Amino acid sequence: MKTVNIEFTLNGAKTKVTVPANMTLVHLLRKELGLTGTKIGCDKGECGACAVLINGKSMNSCLVLAAQVDGKEVTTIEGLENEGKLHPIQEAFIEEGAIQCGYCTPGMVISAKFLLDRNPDPTDDEIKTGISGNLCRCTGYTKIVNAVRAAAQKLKNAGGGGETR
Amino acid sequence: MEIGVKLYGEFKKYAPKDDDRISLDNGGTVAQALRSLGLNDRDLSYAMVLVNNIRVKFDRHLQDGDRMDIFQPIGGGAEKLYRYVGKPVPRIDARDKVTGRTKYSTDLSFPGMLWAKVKRSEYPHANILKLDVEKARKLPGVEAVLTADDIPGHNGFGIITPNWPVLCRDRVMYMGDAIALVAAVDEETAERACELIEVEYEELPVVTSPEEAMREDAPQLHEKGNIMHTMELRKGDVEKGLEEADVITEGEYSTQFMDHAFIEPPGGVGIYDEEEGILTIWCGSQYAFRDQLQIARAMNWDPRKIRVIGSPTGGAFGGKDEITVQIHLALLAYHTKKPVKLWWTREETLIVNSKRHPMKTKFKIGATKDGRFTAIDVDVTADTGPHDTIGAPILNLALESSPGPYQYPHSHFKGRSVYTNNAIGGEFRGFGAPQVVWGVEQEIAKLAGKLGIDPIEIRKRNALKLGDISSLGHTMQTSVGVTETLEAAENSDLWRNREKIIRELNKKHPGKLHGVGMASEWHAVGLGVGIPDFANIDLEIHPDGKIVLKTGAIEIGQGNITAYAQMLAEALEIDMERIEVAHGDTFKTPDSGSVTASRSVLVNGNAIIDGADKIKKRAILEAATILVEDPNNLVYEEGAVRSKSDAEKIVSIENIAEVCCRRNKPLQDVGANIMAISDKDFGDGLPHNYYTFITQVALVGVDLKTGQVDVLRAVSAPEMGKAINIHGVEGQCEGGVVMGQGYALYEDLKMEKGQVLTSNFTTYIIPTAVDAPDIETIIVEVPEKTGPYGAKGVGEAPTVPITPAIMNAVNNAAGIRINDLPITPEKVINALKAEKR
Repeated sequence: MKTVNIEFTLNGAKTKVTVPANMTLVHLLRKELGLTGTKIGCDKGECGACAVLINGKSMNSCLVLAAQVDGKEVTTIEGLENEGKLHPIQEAFIEEGAIQCGYCTPGMVISAKFLLDRNPDPTDDEIKTGISGNLCRCTGYTKIVNAVRAAAQKLKNAGGGGETR
Repeated sequence: MEIGVKLYGEFKKYAPKDDDRISLDNGGTVAQALRSLGLNDRDLSYAMVLVNNIRVKFDRHLQDGDRMDIFQPIGGGAEKLYRYVGKPVPRIDARDKVTGRTKYSTDLSFPGMLWAKVKRSEYPHANILKLDVEKARKLPGVEAVLTADDIPGHNGFGIITPNWPVLCRDRVMYMGDAIALVAAVDEETAERACELIEVEYEELPVVTSPEEAMREDAPQLHEKGNIMHTMELRKGDVEKGLEEADVITEGEYSTQFMDHAFIEPPGGVGIYDEEEGILTIWCGSQYAFRDQLQIARAMNWDPRKIRVIGSPTGGAFGGKDEITVQIHLALLAYHTKKPVKLWWTREETLIVNSKRHPMKTKFKIGATKDGRFTAIDVDVTADTGPHDTIGAPILNLALESSPGPYQYPHSHFKGRSVYTNNAIGGEFRGFGAPQVVWGVEQEIAKLAGKLGIDPIEIRKRNALKLGDISSLGHTMQTSVGVTETLEAAENSDLWRNREKIIRELNKKHPGKLHGVGMASEWHAVGLGVGIPDFANIDLEIHPDGKIVLKTGAIEIGQGNITAYAQMLAEALEIDMERIEVAHGDTFKTPDSGSVTASRSVLVNGNAIIDGADKIKKRAILEAATILVEDPNNLVYEEGAVRSKSDAEKIVSIENIAEVCCRRNKPLQDVGANIMAISDKDFGDGLPHNYYTFITQVALVGVDLKTGQVDVLRAVSAPEMGKAINIHGVEGQCEGGVVMGQGYALYEDLKMEKGQVLTSNFTTYIIPTAVDAPDIETIIVEVPEKTGPYGAKGVGEAPTVPITPAIMNAVNNAAGIRINDLPITPEKVINALKAEKR
């Protein structure tokens, strides 16, 4: 099998790996790098459990070849915590009871982050559209939508509290 | 007008500031007054109101100068204020799940780990004439290829009858049947090896439906014939009951195969430790201890040498109670002596795993002019596929569920579960109830229409009450909240204001018709008469203050582990943060039964209280020697034992635990519970003793051009005794509604001549966030005295009546009825055309 050398930023750290040319990003993350927070539910782009941010954009990592992230920035669920402090989206998921089996949760959080990065004040319909690529079978989505709404508020409060940007 | 108000208990928070009066428009009702104070729907579903010292209903019109006393929920006396029980306590596993730290069995990997694949049947029914694995064995990187010859014990599994082959030897009976196993250095090599396995088949006629299977000339799939199981129950004389009726309604219904569509496909890792002789299997599961026995039976091993770790699991819904990968992992790990991983693809999951049985049902219900039911006659035929698994009890529960939570003097229920070469009919949240409630709740809606009675009113007139003899003939011995859930739904904003809501939506969306419908259900909790229904727990108090609870119950997402910690913290009167819960491991936790049948809060909760009581008693005895005090003068309070008369004499449980450890008698004990059973025994696990009751309401829009049905709003009013975790109950209801919506509108595992046509999420459609309605959950509590803190269970019911509620709403909108699920746009369009003619 032909291999490719790639270099990319993974959760803020420079990463150099040699990967088989046909390996998808999700398998690089899970099998080679041990980052199992990114899940597999279908391995063909239908469920969103493997969503990660590539240059800030939410993508199904099962549809991206590992070689394609050469020179790019990849953020997985493991990269959202900052020195032991949860990201406000993560906090909101816990507080709003938006987690059940938890298997879709990492992908949901990633999609929520992509949404709120672009649209800090989404309507409920925009939230629903923003997470519509992520299937959840446990929650009925109600509390996930609540959590994303609460997270938007938290981020706004944090942004407005003295810091100007 | 001015109304005097006084609020009590937790409702005090709604009291007007600095005043004990409110202003209300003339002619206002009690409900309006309560809402103007800020009480929400849930508060209203509990509140008790006195006007001028007389208890009134909420539609009572008030008069100037009236005085209202508004009380908080009361169930059999003033409710104790709990610290954790009944609160939306965050899940104890949430932080690990939201950071990606939680390791599911499919996340595990070990050095030198092999990957496994299963060679599966290429025909739905065929004899295997020849099986040649030599080419596969020779492929570089392949470490093992196993066939039926390599199974040391019984070549079969199944919760009730173990006739589902581990690996088929002579014959395949559906597309999911396994023929051989491969373990190789990587996934791709294992896949290639599977392709190199040569199987010569002789195709056999395919039995594609129960009707076909029951024909005299049908190919016989099993020695006993094509009828797997039959069941019949009767009470009174159904013919006489129908004669006494003024109105009779009848209908025939059918339902489709449904997939659980949990997001984590079944998978795991197996390791054989040669030195210790121990096999360890990590796998998605609902009952590690039964997996252990099923592995042992196939391996011909001592179960005590098999460790199964089933927790946590990424969703199950009944679909991981039966064996999936466990035995295959055990065989491969034992043969290769290396760690082996087997993880089904989504396609494999949709084809191989058991499904919700399709059922064909017939109903006949009689009622008098004033809407009293006189009789019900039900006939059920289930498609159970080729292997038994747990199909028989599912048919039984379908019959038990089929009358709904109503009183009928006469009844007759008959059913049969039939073998075919379709997908396997198995356990699925609802356990036979969704299929029958789909029919009965439409029939009752039709009866209400014929009689001109409001659909909630007709159900209230026939609602079961505590102490009643049920439609099956057993006594309703535990809390019965049918009327309460109906009233809660009736008082919901969606139901009360439905006409206005529909009018406005119809105006806003020309080309669409809107409607509101409702349905109710009773859902059995627990396994039923004659089936071992128990839980064990271990409790340890550690000198460092930590409290460890061990339960065999598995966390499949339902939140039971958090509910257990809440109940234990409540029982021991300690901070919940001190509790650690170990779960779902046959070597580290005791057997607590399966997480199934909405049972695990009820039976484990009682075991936890039992264990906590023993710990408290022991703590008092130990404290007596530590404090040098008469044990009768000691009392356990807030995690410590203290003297009733001497405030100085107090010792915490962790300090007691420390003394106990020094004496080499650690402060630990076991808790146990066996579920109380019904006063009757109808055989085969019927009937049940505890029920969840639930009423659900749906608001739909029907697009007259495309036939598409959208669910816009839904209300769930479950009565589960007592809600241990508010977020948990709401979560079950919200997830249940959306799953039931999928069953109603989108989901259909299509089979053609035994082939699955919908083997991915592009063709097997489950609802997304955009499809899901706005959902309101109104928790109704009728505490059950034999349940922990009054709780029963709530896991399954919320996914059941919503499906016929959606159909009843479509009927309300467009006047049509569709009897076969799902309600597709094509069927809607055809029904609309027929309606016009």
